[in-house]
Amino acid sequence: MNRIKEIFLKELRVEFRQKYTLGGIFLFSATVVFLIYKVFNTVTELEWSILLWIITMFSALNAIVKSFSQEKKGTYLYYYSLFDPIELIIGKLIYNTLFIFLLFAAILLFMSLFLGFPVKDTELFFGASFLGIFGLSTILTFISLISTSDQTGSTLMSVLSIPLILPIMLLLLKTTAVSLRLITDTSIDQDVLLLAAIDAIMLGTVIILFPSLWRS
Amino acid sequence: MLKGWWWKFGGAFIFLYVLIGGMTIPLRPGITSVQPSNAKTGENILLDITGYNTHFDQAKNIRAWLKLDSTHAINALKTNAEGPNHLQMEFQIPETAPDGNEVYPLHLIIDNEIDGAFILPNAVFVSRSTDSLMFNPNEWTNGKMDKFHNYTGIQFPYRNILNETIRNTFFHVALWFAMFILLLYGVYYSIRYLRSGNFDNDRLASSYTIVAILYGSLGILTGSVWAKFTWNTFWTNDVKLNMTAIALLIYFAYLILRGIQYDQDKRARLAAIYNIFAFIALIPLVFVIPRLQDSLHPGNGGNPALGGEDLDNTLRMFFYPSIIALFLIGKWMAEILTRYERLKDQYFIKSK
Repeated sequence: MNRIKEIFLKELRVEFRQKYTLGGIFLFSATVVFLIYKVFNTVTELEWSILLWIITMFSALNAIVKSFSQEKKGTYLYYYSLFDPIELIIGKLIYNTLFIFLLFAAILLFMSLFLGFPVKDTELFFGASFLGIFGLSTILTFISLISTSDQTGSTLMSVLSIPLILPIMLLLLKTTAVSLRLITDTSIDQDVLLLAAIDAIMLGTVIILFPSLWRS
Repeated sequence: MLKGWWWKFGGAFIFLYVLIGGMTIPLRPGITSVQPSNAKTGENILLDITGYNTHFDQAKNIRAWLKLDSTHAINALKTNAEGPNHLQMEFQIPETAPDGNEVYPLHLIIDNEIDGAFILPNAVFVSRSTDSLMFNPNEWTNGKMDKFHNYTGIQFPYRNILNETIRNTFFHVALWFAMFILLLYGVYYSIRYLRSGNFDNDRLASSYTIVAILYGSLGILTGSVWAKFTWNTFWTNDVKLNMTAIALLIYFAYLILRGIQYDQDKRARLAAIYNIFAFIALIPLVFVIPRLQDSLHPGNGGNPALGGEDLDNTLRMFFYPSIIALFLIGKWMAEILTRYERLKDQYFIKSK
């Protein structure tokens, strides 16, 4: 537990040491939201929910792509001798989840500033969003490790991860639509539960597979 | 278990059996259409019935009923066969109608000694002309339905929308089953590669997955053609179709991952890990989400699943062998692919 905290704090320090990437990601999302505001001027609630998740998805992709490539290879050898791989991945996952959630909150802030905040069922909205973002960060973190390579860059990352995160995105869009009262669904709990189940399956798989991936 | 060569010929032979049997066995007799399809209470109607694979002109004893429910039915007054697939019948719709509904459907049942008995549900819709009359069950009991003839022999069931395309069950549905078995094999060899580091397991895993992707693409294609004939569109917004599309995208990404020029060890390891991850991501996609939503496919949204009336014993005679045959042929293809990869690697190492 203590070492997971250490990894988490280390990630935080590395992130704040390179302020330009951090600022770049937030600026990217702000710019995109502003661009959309200027293009659409007013958006319907349906467009609002779709845009929110599309921006979040691509910002998260941009943010996590460097999750395993921002440090030198030698550093990883050092970590390898230092940490248990499971502790490392859990630390990374917690950090990445919080980071994407922060990113999501920033995008939400910008969007409510420019385009309004039509959410009616905030409890469902934030609950499902958190579950979805946890799933997103699990898949993206794992794929970012698979696609760490000098020659392919972020293309491989998007090719590999977008189909995998599609089911989560579809569920997120549905729960968001329900929380905006665009559609009514009495069994929305089932979808939230499904989101949690997908998260759990993905988390389990990552924890099982990560050690063998980490060795390389 | 599957050693030697016999299972390869077994697969080819069973598939030949499925192809010949599945394509040549005729459908059971059925009713394609009834004109007119609506009537009023108390009316005397003349129905023009078009059959399919029927023998109306040869049959001597044609009987027909319009059925309201299991105890209430009316007899045909006159039948007149105008050809093997064409029949004219006269019915007297009773004055009284069951209470409650303004319009009620009647099911048409035809029975003769050659074709057996067959039914067209909701053949005629009757609207009531006077609502003052109380329902009189006696008017409805003159058609006693008994002594049905049974058709003997092997024929596929006749389904009104499916018609001849019911044969696609042997290919479309069986391809998905075979694809899943092959994917399981791929995952199995991926796990074995991660445990042993033996490249042969990696070649096997990739070959099985590639053949499974081929089967998945064929499954989409056959399904699309089937949908054109039954749902009148190549692609619908059906949940199963969309989830399968995502699943195929995941596996196409696997092909891209394999195509990247890593060193062999890294590529094999990444591909194995992605393959396991993708397969587990597939489980909610294919087995969970479609079950929570309505779908046009059987087994969803109140439609009956495998079994019931849609998959009867004559279809089973070809459906299960088809799965086995497609799996065996897929395994054969995967092994040829593995041997090709093995030779390629050997040649590559030698020429260096």
